[in-house]
Amino acid sequence: MADRLTQLQDAVDQLANQFVASLYYINKHHDLQTLSATDTVRQEKKIEGDQDPGEKEVDPYPADVFRAGQKELAQDLIIKEQQIEAFISMLPGLDNSEKDQQDTIRQLEEELMAAEQKRKEAVKEKEAVLARLESVIRSVKRP
Amino acid sequence: MAEQPQANALASLFPTPPPFWQSFTAKNVARIEELRAAQAGPEHTSHATATSLPIRLLELPTELRLLQPPEPPKDGIYRCFGDTYNLNEELPSLEEQGIPQVYTPPATPTGSGKHFDRALILKRLAKSLLLNFLELVGIMSVNPEQYAEKVQDLRNLFINFHHLLNEYRPHQARESLILMMQDQLDRSKAETEGILKMKAQVESVLEELGKKGLVEKEQNEPLMLEDGGKEDEDLSSDVWTELRKEFG
Repeated sequence: MADRLTQLQDAVDQLANQFVASLYYINKHHDLQTLSATDTVRQEKKIEGDQDPGEKEVDPYPADVFRAGQKELAQDLIIKEQQIEAFISMLPGLDNSEKDQQDTIRQLEEELMAAEQKRKEAVKEKEAVLARLESVIRSVKRP
Repeated sequence: MAEQPQANALASLFPTPPPFWQSFTAKNVARIEELRAAQAGPEHTSHATATSLPIRLLELPTELRLLQPPEPPKDGIYRCFGDTYNLNEELPSLEEQGIPQVYTPPATPTGSGKHFDRALILKRLAKSLLLNFLELVGIMSVNPEQYAEKVQDLRNLFINFHHLLNEYRPHQARESLILMMQDQLDRSKAETEGILKMKAQVESVLEELGKKGLVEKEQNEPLMLEDGGKEDEDLSSDVWTELRKEFG
């Protein structure tokens, strides 16, 4: 798992991607309108459409689908932004200064050494006890 | 034709480690530690932190010479896989990259200040991003030709955001280190505890056995049971019931 800082940066990049995607969606799928009575919507779709339907400049969606798509994109933007704010609030150690951190690290280092020492002692004792137990078991099994 | 890739794979085998790895025997390492401790004097020995380089020893026997890390390059540049790197890589400031800084710089993470203001700035930037995008969409709907300025604004905001986060990285690295150390400490403590617990358990079993006189009896018993395990099992059955009681 990536650290939170990277997650945040990824989220920001995703937001940028969503911006572009939203604009692209509107640009690609909006409906064509006539501005005055004399205008007509050019039917270029029909000419080019046969050869390469994927390359149409505008591919109008029905009004309700278009609006639903718009709404979803807008909601996604808001959600992403809220996610970013949540990440910001969760950045590790916002309330620690560098000095605090170094003090903590030093203290932990000492504690670690002490714990390691204790652990080694415990292992030694364990081995001694194990040896005793083994000798007992051996004497039981093979008298 | 089919053999071509294989030949390439052979040609690009992972390089063997440099020859001096053979000098790093446990004996040599212990020996150089000793020499270093002697050189540093008694007051330094316990507090060698990870940040300080080990003391350089001037006269060393040849087999230990390779254990001495070389001096860091004097000009601050080193080469790795054909690229040059700087020893202390610095984050170029926004001005150096020709990007306007849109926030008042918070206390740098290297200072002793706290970081609440940093989070606040980041949140403001995030909101500005959304607002600017809204404005961009608005402008595009009225006059698509005038997008350039707003897009530039958005770009600046994004770069500022990333810059702030990158400044925060060393802080986060230290924070992760603290977490990891805490983790290791907890694990070490738990392990010690587990060992001690097991030891106590085993000791109590031994004690019980001793109370029953089994241990002594077993140890003093002359070894005369040659023919099979009948009596053997009788003797040990007490031990097994005892063990079963203990470990369920």
